[in-house]
Amino acid sequence: MRTGSCTPISPEAEARVFMRLRATIAWHTLRGMLADSRLRVTLVAVLSVVFWGALYGLFHEGFSFLDSIHAEVISLLFNAFFSSLMVMLVFSTGILLYGSLYCGSEAKLLLTLPARAEAIVAHKFREALWFSSWGFVLLGSPMLVAYGVVRGAPWTFYLLLLPFMLAFVLIPATLGGICCITLVAWAARLRVHALSAGIVVVVAAAVWMGWSIVARPPAEGVTGVWFEEMMGRLAVTEQKVFPSWWLSSGLIEAARADGDPAVRLATLWEAVKFLALLVSNGMLLQIVCGWVARAWYRAGYSELVGEMPARRQRRIAWIDEVLSNSGTAAGRPLRLLLVKDLRLFRRDVSQWSQFLIFFGLLGLYFLNLRSFNYNNAYAAMISFLNLAVAGLILSTFTTRFVFPMISLEGRRFWILGLLPVARDQIVWSKFLFSFVGGLLPCCGLVFLSDSMLGVSGNLIAIHEVCCVMLCMGLSGIAVGLGARMPDLRESSPAKISSGFGGTLCLVLSSLFIMVVVIVAAVPTHLSLATSAFPAGARRGLVAWATSPQGFAASLLVVVALGLVATFVPLVAGIRSFRRLEP
Amino acid sequence: MIEFDHVTRTYGPKTAVSDVSLAIPRGELFALLGPNGAGKTTTIKMLVGLLRPSRGAIRVCGHDVVKEPRQAHLHLGYVPDEPTLYDKLTGREFLWFIADMFGMPRHTARGCIDREIAAFELGEFADDLAESYSLGMKQRLVFAASLLHDPDVLVLDEPMVGLDPRSVRIVKDLLRARTQEGMIVFMSTHTLAMAEEMADRVGIMVRGQLRFLGTVADLREQVAIDATNLEHLYLELTSGGPAGRPGEDRGDGPRDVS
Repeated sequence: MRTGSCTPISPEAEARVFMRLRATIAWHTLRGMLADSRLRVTLVAVLSVVFWGALYGLFHEGFSFLDSIHAEVISLLFNAFFSSLMVMLVFSTGILLYGSLYCGSEAKLLLTLPARAEAIVAHKFREALWFSSWGFVLLGSPMLVAYGVVRGAPWTFYLLLLPFMLAFVLIPATLGGICCITLVAWAARLRVHALSAGIVVVVAAAVWMGWSIVARPPAEGVTGVWFEEMMGRLAVTEQKVFPSWWLSSGLIEAARADGDPAVRLATLWEAVKFLALLVSNGMLLQIVCGWVARAWYRAGYSELVGEMPARRQRRIAWIDEVLSNSGTAAGRPLRLLLVKDLRLFRRDVSQWSQFLIFFGLLGLYFLNLRSFNYNNAYAAMISFLNLAVAGLILSTFTTRFVFPMISLEGRRFWILGLLPVARDQIVWSKFLFSFVGGLLPCCGLVFLSDSMLGVSGNLIAIHEVCCVMLCMGLSGIAVGLGARMPDLRESSPAKISSGFGGTLCLVLSSLFIMVVVIVAAVPTHLSLATSAFPAGARRGLVAWATSPQGFAASLLVVVALGLVATFVPLVAGIRSFRRLEP
Repeated sequence: MIEFDHVTRTYGPKTAVSDVSLAIPRGELFALLGPNGAGKTTTIKMLVGLLRPSRGAIRVCGHDVVKEPRQAHLHLGYVPDEPTLYDKLTGREFLWFIADMFGMPRHTARGCIDREIAAFELGEFADDLAESYSLGMKQRLVFAASLLHDPDVLVLDEPMVGLDPRSVRIVKDLLRARTQEGMIVFMSTHTLAMAEEMADRVGIMVRGQLRFLGTVADLREQVAIDATNLEHLYLELTSGGPAGRPGEDRGDGPRDVS
């Protein structure tokens, strides 16, 4: 027979082939990033270190404060944190695996090769595990290191940290994988309903728990009784069958510092037993996952891929009709371009769902602000921080979705080129789409934050002016840079926004937000900081800055900054886009 | 040999492939023709193991593709309509990956990789990352990968899409040479001219059923009988109507003139 030189390879050889594949891809990716995206890599590395350091400082302060009531509170907090993480990992890994095992082109290639089903699943599982758990390692490591430092933990604690974290994430991630493969194999048609139901239940439980903790603010402030009641509500997470309990117990044991070597050895042994519990259960689940993959992966893939896609008949939405036909005839091409982008946005679940999640979470946080009874100065400071947060979230959207918009027209450029539409109008339509789209959530959320904090009407007005300028400026930066540096060949918005242009957009947007918020905040904070001074004690620049003229001047500077950030990149982008040859 | 044994594939109430029985011996180039939605890609996906038949069985060199997928895949090479490559691998690294997955010994793999790189004229860009390849280059690389392990069966889904005339000639010459050496080629195509030029036997699929199964000579005989031209006969067969009455579904089985 012709295939004489081919033999089925052993599981070990197969695993080595996949490891080599992953290592080669990682190497080329790293080389490419260092060669082409040095700015982005440097920025990510520096910001990660800064972020890690800031988190470490925060946790160090927190654990130092809690050290006096360590045993009860730390254990509860750890259990609450790790158990919520556990639930998130089940869903995130399951969703990631679903995408890569059933929708990805790599799975289609691998299924036509003589590869074992469980090997394909293991290969994609490692990728999903990495994507879903790197955040835990980044957030969890400063927290746990700070805990160890505050507790004076022995060196063995730091040695066990990484094994504990890795052993822990393996369990919920593998559960997520098993659920994903099982659901697709047995209830492919119900998978969306099952996942939605699961997410709704988890979110509802989280909201109920969060609301029950902060809904009844203590009239006298935070007292011991209130605190104990709140901690009592978290006790539901301290279940000995949960891997989160094994992890937190093991870490607490490992961090015990004692002068007596025999006691140290005993606590170390206890910690190692908890680690062994995590590792052994993780490995058992991996074996189950392998069995499930062998039994059900190919059948589930066939079932899912063989589904006929539902034909959805789309009628023209009323809002599209209204937008297209309102206004003058001269402005109609611009309106039609806006309507097109609005339609694409509505039909792209990945865009509006992220939008909804991020702004929804922000809204949830703002709704709970009233519970904390901040005084005047704190309320003002937090209101400006919240303004900055809303701006930063908007900037992630403008960088991720608005910046690539011009580039994504690349494959359809021949259509736009043939239409009686000036290139300027294409750029302006993207700007208007981004500006109008960001205005309502940004202004609405900041208004909500200010209302919950009970700040003055003047401050609300200042914030709303800042919001409008932030929306304009961020849209101008994203669209302008997108038109100045388009990549018409690339079809992935993620790749476009992760290049040099996207990174520059994010950096400039962040700087713009910081400057606007600082300029707007200076008069307010000087005013609050000097409010205890006797009348007439304020002099010179401080007196001017805290006067109505000072407030007006800061607003004028904010407006000027907004106009510069809007029109400078837009004009540069339009000029460059006019000359572009696709 | 490839055997389709009363193969049916349904999606809910709809039947995509209906009771197809077919045997393709060694050394034959079989072309599956048909309009869009006829069931050609579904048939190919079942052959390469991506889809499972709802009824019936498909065997490749005696191995059932559902019950013994790994053994069946060892005998198969597959070129899909849309080539899938790893963007962050070079062409050569991709070929090595395929060779390793097929368990080829290192010295054999090295020789086969060099052979296919030369045959498909990939030398100029074999060491560049696949993300920089054009569609034609990707298609040639996927061809090379599918032939690396000298498969007994080569399955091609619209193989000439994206290839320039030179590459088309390379592929045609290669397919002729390999079929003469005993390889089976199972090819789906829209193009009647391609089937006429290359195929030993032709199957015309319409709405999941094989309406015609036979050699190109049999197809020409049918043309003579019906006093029409080849294209007209093909269009008549794929529209489902009898001669002179297009659009009417006769509901017959295939015209098997083999």
